[in-house]
Amino acid sequence: MNETSMLAFEENPEQVEQADWVVGIPSHNNVDSITHPTAQAAQGLIDHFGDKNSVVINCDNHSEDGTKEAFLQTPSEVPKIYLSTPPGVVGRGYSLRNLIVKAVELQAQAVIVLDADIEGITPQWIKNLGEPISAGFGFVAPLYVRHKYDGAVANGIVYPLTRALYGRRVRQPIGGDFAFAANLAETYLNHPSWNDMVGQFGVDIWMTTLAICQGIPICQSFVGKPKIYQNDRNIVPSGPVFSQVVGTLLNLMIHFQDFWERVKWSKPTAIYGFGMGEVETPASFDIADDELHQVFIQGFAQYKQLWESFLENNIYNKLGEIRELPLAHFSFPSEIWARILYSYSAAYKNEVVERESLLQSLVPLFVGKTLSYAKKTERMSIQQAEEYIENECMIFEEAKPYLLSKW
Amino acid sequence: MAKILVVDDEEHIRLLYSEELKEEGYDVITAEGGHGLLERIEQDKPDLVVLDIKMVDYDGLDLLQDIRNKFYDLPVILSTAYDTFKEDMKSIAADFYVVKSFDLTELKKKIQMALEARDAS
Repeated sequence: MNETSMLAFEENPEQVEQADWVVGIPSHNNVDSITHPTAQAAQGLIDHFGDKNSVVINCDNHSEDGTKEAFLQTPSEVPKIYLSTPPGVVGRGYSLRNLIVKAVELQAQAVIVLDADIEGITPQWIKNLGEPISAGFGFVAPLYVRHKYDGAVANGIVYPLTRALYGRRVRQPIGGDFAFAANLAETYLNHPSWNDMVGQFGVDIWMTTLAICQGIPICQSFVGKPKIYQNDRNIVPSGPVFSQVVGTLLNLMIHFQDFWERVKWSKPTAIYGFGMGEVETPASFDIADDELHQVFIQGFAQYKQLWESFLENNIYNKLGEIRELPLAHFSFPSEIWARILYSYSAAYKNEVVERESLLQSLVPLFVGKTLSYAKKTERMSIQQAEEYIENECMIFEEAKPYLLSKW
Repeated sequence: MAKILVVDDEEHIRLLYSEELKEEGYDVITAEGGHGLLERIEQDKPDLVVLDIKMVDYDGLDLLQDIRNKFYDLPVILSTAYDTFKEDMKSIAADFYVVKSFDLTELKKKIQMALEARDAS
């Protein structure tokens, strides 16, 4: 990636030329939801960073539903800038790329990124994501209280794998709301691992991983309210999103091999933002056991030969045993799951199978693992489910020699 | 030889941990509370801290947060008599936790893991 943006359009009604603090809101057809985060971000900047020059930027994907107008018409004491990719260029990563180029141009000290479709955001989020940057941290990842079934890709793949690989415990590595210091902006704009998957939904794990591998101090900040999406989210994201996120993760493994090969176990990060009072309970999140079970079972019809071609016999045979389990007793052991993901990583690197097909073939296995997690944590509180995930992460860390042997 | 700072307000725990960890080859220093702890860490430069969560005058989780903010990569192992502390999310800033016991096998294992993680990075 070079410093050229994918910018086709800019509207800067207040002619802002310099800003210390930038809040960026990537969007694509978010006319119904963008007003709320825009207003909350502006209020947060006034309340908590009133002594700084600030701007709120909507980095859009040429929305045709009036997102731009909704954003620019949101009442705010903080100036606003609207940016957009060219028509046809859609992707959260491309939006963030435009944002970062603009932040550099504005000589910003810090950039805070917020999702465009969240309801729970308050001005406190701006404080909690921004203050650690003022305190010297280079990257701030969010900590939310999420429902135990929300964030399945993060829980089952991205968090355990990132933690075991790079040795830093960042619980929400694809949380969507985060902050970074200006010195990271240059890294993001010039890093050679940028590609089209990053330009779309791979961007969050890409930015988190680059921050970890830069060795800069990372903070996780509790943002106070549970993450509530205005749009319904499936427990398993759509095919392209899954591929972009997991594909980026596996591409980064190739790029940062020298880094993660040295890492053993993992270390925590600093934590910010506790003691803010009562924690709200996240919204419930229903899952359909039967449907997940069927997706897992049907995966054998489609991918049996592919799995057999690169998974070790004992792992493949174990999958066969899991398939025979009735739904009531369904269980996908974490030790097997860790080895499967490590096997996929090596297969992806070595291009044993065409990469997109390989990523798609992971979906039914991931669904099976998610079903197993849901069943095991069914009667658990959020805290107990978190401990369960922490234990799974330890299994990934303990199994890392297996990855090295397969790589 | 790695230097370990044991912070606990119970003298018998400090003695137990000191003796057993010295037998493992560690250099052990102790502190009986949180007063002046950050300065002590600055001065003695331990490689790892074993921190009691519930001390009479100090909340170990608050101390953990102070340590993590000032000494970002210093490994800290929480030592506790109860596991209810996990309900406080501040505890995730610790490298590991152990439940207090006269059998220090788990503590020794976690110390080794934390030091390996630090050395590998």
